[in-house]
Amino acid sequence: MRRQLRSRRAPAFPHSYRYRLDDQDEVNQNYLADEEEEAEEEARVMLVPDLEEEEEEEEGEKEEKKEEEEGQGQPTGNTWWWKLQIMNEYLWDPEKRMFLARTGLILVIYFFFYASLAAVITLCVYTLFLNISPYMPTFTEKVKPPGVMIRPFAHSLNFNFNVSEPDTWQHYVISLNGFLQGYNDSLQEEMNVDCPPGQYFIQDANEDEDKKACQFKRSFLKNCSGLDDPTFGYSTGQPCILLKMNRIVGFRPELGDPVKVSCKVQRGDENDIRSINYYPESASFDLRYYPYYGKLTHVNYTSPLVAMHFTDVVKNQAVPVQCQLKGKGIINDVINDRFVGRVIFTLNIET
Amino acid sequence: MEGLKKEVVMNDHKLTLEQLSTKYSVDLTKGLSPKEAQEILTREGPNTLTPPPTTPEWVKFCKQLFGGFSILLWIGAILCFMAYGIQMYFSEHATRDNLYLGIVLAVVVVTTGCFSYYQEAKSSRIMESFKSMVPQKALVIRDGEKMQINAQNVVVGDLVEVKGGDRIPADIRLISAEGCKVDNSSLTGESEPQTRSPDFTHENPLETQNICFFSTNCVQGTARGIVIATGDSTMMGRIATLTSGLAAGKTPIAREIEHFIHLITSVAIFLGVVFFGISIILGYGWLEAVIFLIGIIVANVPEGLLATVTVCLTLTAKRMARKNCLVKNLEAVETLGSTSTICSDKTGTLTQNRMTVAHLWFDKTIYKADTSEEQIGKTFAKSSDTWFILAGIAGLCNRAEFKAAQETLPIAKRATAGDASESALLKFIEQYYSSVKEMREKNPKVAEIPFNSTNKYQMSIHLREDSSQDHVLMMKGAPERILEFCSSYMLNGHEYPIDDEMKEAFQNAYLELGGLGERVLGFCFLNLPKTFSKGFKFNTDKINFPMNNLCFVGLISMIDPPRAAVPDAVGKCRNAGIKVIMVTGDHPITAKAIARGVGIISEGAKIEEDITAQLKVPNSQINNREVKAIVVHGSELKDLSSEQLDNILQSHREIVFARTSPQQKLIIVEGCQRLGAIVAVTGDGVNDSPALKKADIGIAMGIAGSDVSKEAADMILLDDNFASIVTGVEEGRLIFDNLKKSIAYTLTSNIPEITPFLLFIILSIPLPLGTITILCIDLGTDMVPAISLAYESAESDIMKRAPRNPKTDNLVNHRLIGMAYGQIGVIQALAGFFTYFVILAENGFKPLDLLGIRLNWENRYLNDLEDSYGQQWTFEQRKVVEFTCQTAFFVSIVVVQWSDLIICKTRRNSVFQQGMKNKILIFGLLEETLLAAFLSYTPGMDVALRMYPLKIFWWLCATPYSLLIFIYDEIRKFTIRRHPGGWLESETYY
Repeated sequence: MRRQLRSRRAPAFPHSYRYRLDDQDEVNQNYLADEEEEAEEEARVMLVPDLEEEEEEEEGEKEEKKEEEEGQGQPTGNTWWWKLQIMNEYLWDPEKRMFLARTGLILVIYFFFYASLAAVITLCVYTLFLNISPYMPTFTEKVKPPGVMIRPFAHSLNFNFNVSEPDTWQHYVISLNGFLQGYNDSLQEEMNVDCPPGQYFIQDANEDEDKKACQFKRSFLKNCSGLDDPTFGYSTGQPCILLKMNRIVGFRPELGDPVKVSCKVQRGDENDIRSINYYPESASFDLRYYPYYGKLTHVNYTSPLVAMHFTDVVKNQAVPVQCQLKGKGIINDVINDRFVGRVIFTLNIET
Repeated sequence: MEGLKKEVVMNDHKLTLEQLSTKYSVDLTKGLSPKEAQEILTREGPNTLTPPPTTPEWVKFCKQLFGGFSILLWIGAILCFMAYGIQMYFSEHATRDNLYLGIVLAVVVVTTGCFSYYQEAKSSRIMESFKSMVPQKALVIRDGEKMQINAQNVVVGDLVEVKGGDRIPADIRLISAEGCKVDNSSLTGESEPQTRSPDFTHENPLETQNICFFSTNCVQGTARGIVIATGDSTMMGRIATLTSGLAAGKTPIAREIEHFIHLITSVAIFLGVVFFGISIILGYGWLEAVIFLIGIIVANVPEGLLATVTVCLTLTAKRMARKNCLVKNLEAVETLGSTSTICSDKTGTLTQNRMTVAHLWFDKTIYKADTSEEQIGKTFAKSSDTWFILAGIAGLCNRAEFKAAQETLPIAKRATAGDASESALLKFIEQYYSSVKEMREKNPKVAEIPFNSTNKYQMSIHLREDSSQDHVLMMKGAPERILEFCSSYMLNGHEYPIDDEMKEAFQNAYLELGGLGERVLGFCFLNLPKTFSKGFKFNTDKINFPMNNLCFVGLISMIDPPRAAVPDAVGKCRNAGIKVIMVTGDHPITAKAIARGVGIISEGAKIEEDITAQLKVPNSQINNREVKAIVVHGSELKDLSSEQLDNILQSHREIVFARTSPQQKLIIVEGCQRLGAIVAVTGDGVNDSPALKKADIGIAMGIAGSDVSKEAADMILLDDNFASIVTGVEEGRLIFDNLKKSIAYTLTSNIPEITPFLLFIILSIPLPLGTITILCIDLGTDMVPAISLAYESAESDIMKRAPRNPKTDNLVNHRLIGMAYGQIGVIQALAGFFTYFVILAENGFKPLDLLGIRLNWENRYLNDLEDSYGQQWTFEQRKVVEFTCQTAFFVSIVVVQWSDLIICKTRRNSVFQQGMKNKILIFGLLEETLLAAFLSYTPGMDVALRMYPLKIFWWLCATPYSLLIFIYDEIRKFTIRRHPGGWLESETYY
């Protein structure tokens, strides 16, 4: 139908390939010629008063043709030249003096289409932000129960080092030192307040007001503070490992029952670890560090730490250690997640 | 192959008996000696047709496994395994996703392959049941002794004897015959039995009387002849070899799927390469980039589409089988829908293949008899006395009789013994007059001269019912011969002498009936004088009774009438823009008459007969519009070049090919195909089978069709009714439209499936949609809705539009891809991402903080990753959030697919016009929703598929987008309806 229209107008396009295409079509067309089609054709001519549109249509067909041509894949060199010509024509149509004639308009249309979609999604995201508090996450159940992480963190939970070779443990020391910079007593005293222990540090001010943070001084860690022993015990084969509980906005341990840390050999002989010293000695996270009010207002919040000082561990053998949080409301036996309420690492101290 | 297409050269029929005897060194009375026969048998092989090379079952199975669409999935699977291999090799914590994906792809292909193999095996089992396994026997004379041997042991030179009811065991040159008639319809398409005699009557071996062909049937009489060809060298064997040697081309749907694969592959490779480049620029390692490349390419593979297409086609095939179209090859389901030309055989397809009385002429008036299959109703001037006499002659001077024990059957359906025209008369009289049996008992036959081709009449003498002493002589035969015997004629029961006026009336009636392609018989009688009263010895050799001055009664004409439903069906095909061409081995006059009768040549169309004259005139001078119809004779066709044939096919809308040989049928089909038409061929005879095989879709007849034709066909009409083809066309067109919708629906969800991976690469955000969830969509929730679209009813009258142009009207074109990928798919992706960002934000990860988080997010040792609120997450905890997001993304896709399904229901109409009558579709909507809920909320899914329960609010995030899709597409379709042929239509109407 459409093809007939075009073939009739073919002389307007003096390009040899077009004639060839039309000849093929003519055959088809005649073959399928039908009286009804004639009537339809007239109707169509009336319905398409805009030549420009018709032009577009042809461009579309031309492209389709090209695809077909490729599909058939005639292996003659001539065809390639032919295709190149079509391609050339497609990119720059000298008749209409249009660059990327069809693609151009399509691109414009799509540009507007996508622009309006972008507007829609922006509107949606904007509504989303209107409905989300910047201070308090909407849901916290996925981040509960709290996870546990240890320092030094070296992309692995195996602490392998040789006491007599500082190179093997130096990076732990550097890591710990770096981590504890924020806990320096001077800094803590300057920034944070010394709040009463044994109770929540509740600040019931407006949501958007800045909150104060409790001090957690490096010196609380005693032998593991790196103040007395700058090697955190690594040089003597008695490594310090710091344990912290993941921050959760609004999380409060059970009142009167601070979360405790206890470590033991995970698998194997219980006596592989003969003694561990905990700092602070209570081996617990004091209630005054809770609740956490979120990054935006609780700017200087310092996570409480518990340091484990493995003072007497079997040497020259890998000892799997599991440190668990204990306390009401603490879950430490999730099978899928080995970092919820507990942490497992191995110590392999060589002498 | 080309050699086989040529006409058969044979000259045995031209030889004299002596020459024949010498040629085959055989004694024409005693036959071969058993020893000679044995020698020839060992030399030439048995007299059987080489069965067509059957494809072994495993090859068929492999074709299902590796054909068409499957290839795409296989490549996908291999790429997955490659990617997994690379990951395995270079990283310890390789995710198994690629491995699983590869396995799932392979499983999908194998399952679908098994399914379609099973479907096709089922149809071929039905085929098997058609085959008759009765071994054929033949009566040969060897050393003067008659012996019954297996037909396969018959050798060239054997002297064989055939009698009525036998199947001809080989090609035979007759040396003697008595009243022998053979039914050649399976070879030539002639519905009337052909007389056979030892005389050489025609140059063409197919038309000469002295040759009988292998596997045709001897209807009556006996004959003896020398075997001139056995097995594959027989006429039938050559056709069978020609058929099995023809390669069936690809079905249109296979071509469409190929085109689709090209498109989808180009899109996949384009995306893959672009993002390969981007990921290299973004600083990913080349190895990672390759994994991404493979991932993107594989993500473009629509996993569920193969199964969807197969199920849709199977559903249609089943629906068609219920309407008596058995489809042998699943892909052929759609072919009828694309058909633009139907080449139909005449005998048995368009006609009933049963001689029936069509017209009577008596009292100077032509009466029309009822030729419908049911044979009930219409009457004519039954009160005229002439009718009683005519009926008496037709019933008595008739050797045909009903076979026993059929009293319960309607008369038209009863089997008869005897010549086709006599049977027709017998049934006619039984139906409209009275019991022929009683009539014959009351008027016993005392003498008769049977019909033969020299005297061209049949005469019998009966005792008269009313006076038991008198005899009446009755005669029927070729009208002009009968008239010669007559001096008077009957008008309203009275005798009048024949005058010129009556002769003219007779001539006109005879010409008119003959012009209708009918076989006309004349009837006359004579009451014999008292001298020939009871007891007179009539001698039919030395005629001792008067045989002149008879009284002419009337004419009865017979035809193999068209089936009742055919004219309507042809009309519907016409409306649907399908050209119906008749190709028959029968005579041009009969062919033309039937063509007119069924509407292949429309009423009042000018028929051009002399094509050679036309060909001499330059093409431009002929106004093609004026001459629409043409009848081409086989002998003319033989001399045409292919250009001339093309010209004929092109310039005429109504074409009848008569007297065509099997080879010519093939040439005609090839001619149509050369012009770009998709050709359906219907036929029942062996002569049709090469054309059936060559056609885009061959349609054989289930009841009357020969085994060879059924073997060659793609589709079988179980009720032999041409009208079933219309159903096939309708179903084929509907499934083509619906497949488009189905594919548009399925492809749309590809974008929300690919974009998460792309953004994962570019923005380094946590993966919004994982492989498992993608598979849940493609093979889970999308399946039933996509299939339900196959049940969608047509938007407009699909039988009123022209057949699709296979070159431009593709199943999947750039417009469909543009709509699915560029528009609806993008909205869907937005819906998914919105849900994803909502969930992450509500859990603490605001969108801006997600950018670039990927490396930390994926680090399993980092168990205190900070979110936007300063909370710290373990690896597992954030993975749970990630998978919850993926579940929500999945649910969002389901939600937007609701509206996608509703918009895909129609391509032009509004949903409000189309309605929601498709129950399966509503079921599909419910099913996908329930499945999504099931996957999300069932306990244990977190372990099995890593899908997590969602809050109800998260289901709602996508609904605005769902609504947006619906409104957008309704507006689009409204504009298309408002401005048909406009810019929007040409860019977005698929």
